[in-house]
Amino acid sequence: MDWDAQYELLKAGKAIPQAGPSYTTRNESNIDDDDMRPVLPGRDPGDEPERRRTNLILDEEETVATPLERLTRHWMNERHAPDILPAQEDLLMNLLDHLRRQSEAVQLLREDPSTSEEEHMRIMLVQTEIERVKFIVRSYVRTRLFKIEKYARFITTTPEVQTRLTAAELDHASRHAKITDQHFYVSVLQSLPEKQSHLDDTPLFVPPMITEPDKTRPVFVHALKQCPRIRLPDGATLEMEKGHISLMPYSVVEQLVARGEVELI
Amino acid sequence: MTEARQYGELATQLLMESRRSTQTDMLMKYNDSLVRSIIREQRDLEKAIDALLVDGRPPPPALLIIQTAINRNKRCLLAYHSHRVDRLRDMYWAVGGALPHLLSNQDIRSRLSPHEVDYLRQYNSSVMEFRSEFSHELDITASITNPPKDLHVLVHVVKDCGVIQTELGSIQFEKGQRYMVRRADIEHLIVQGYLEEV
Repeated sequence: MDWDAQYELLKAGKAIPQAGPSYTTRNESNIDDDDMRPVLPGRDPGDEPERRRTNLILDEEETVATPLERLTRHWMNERHAPDILPAQEDLLMNLLDHLRRQSEAVQLLREDPSTSEEEHMRIMLVQTEIERVKFIVRSYVRTRLFKIEKYARFITTTPEVQTRLTAAELDHASRHAKITDQHFYVSVLQSLPEKQSHLDDTPLFVPPMITEPDKTRPVFVHALKQCPRIRLPDGATLEMEKGHISLMPYSVVEQLVARGEVELI
Repeated sequence: MTEARQYGELATQLLMESRRSTQTDMLMKYNDSLVRSIIREQRDLEKAIDALLVDGRPPPPALLIIQTAINRNKRCLLAYHSHRVDRLRDMYWAVGGALPHLLSNQDIRSRLSPHEVDYLRQYNSSVMEFRSEFSHELDITASITNPPKDLHVLVHVVKDCGVIQTELGSIQFEKGQRYMVRRADIEHLIVQGYLEEV
């Protein structure tokens, strides 16, 4: 897709998005980038999207993933991994910038009386597409937010996890840990005798008070390429071929996910 | 309540409430009296420990039982509050982060403790601060249950909600009317129950 190349140009500020013919060609290719758009009868511009859609799961050849495909993959991984994965700040910001520019272009074209009927149809598709990309971004951000709140106390005490969060996420984590602690304190702990009013007890035979990600949770893994040999918890080894799908504890494939050799499904 | 109660019995009742709340998928009224009773039990247990500890003598075995009871009670208290706070956050997100909408609902409000109302306010301000990072491009508090399929949606007005700005200009939504509007403009009103999808 030459959208990628155009996108790089845009990013570097060498091409300015403008209303007019260049706009429509840019968006035609963008429509094809969609992986989740339902096939609308009579509107489908050929079998092109069909092919692109299957790329995500059953990739036969090495293709350079578009930003949206990359985000979709990160989104799926994030939703399935018990741990918090590294933040994709640059990717997200670029996509959001792109969304904003496209919304502006759409606005311009909608107000232009010389826009043809056919172009209006395209504008509608682009608008729908924008809403759908926003949905993924939102779901991705919220998935991370959910985990960050769940593990807030763990995050504030573990520098290693902090490196995987954005500054804003980190702020939210520490604020959240603080208000939760405070809530426990005013509701319960302050009324208890002095010796019991701590939140970091470590009594024997009781799970720790700080919730940590459960890395032993099983996940479905789909190999995107030939993977190096991995050792399973029972001692056996497994070498996953490309396209192989398997169920195993997250801790086993943690490194493969980080390197992008597998995706979680 | 009889004196022959076992240690930790009240805490079990408290946990049962949490469990019922999960099973019925609703938030129950904050059980202030039960929480207070358990806190009183904790103080009594602490006194019992102090009485058992006499200088110069090895601690008696009864100490272990009391200590276990204390730990368990405390954990149950925290679990109860933590469970409620989780539910509160779920409710908060279910209405798209519209805190005033949530707090003005008398039915819900009556089930919260004052501290929980404070908690929700603080949580709301933390989320708002996080949201401001994105505000120009998208609203992260909007719904994430179903991916959008259409740009526009036909809605039926259930409650008056005044004048709303949409891409077609401002619309006065009045009860009983139907409108075809852009989903992104009014999504939050659907979530808060002012409009219904037809």
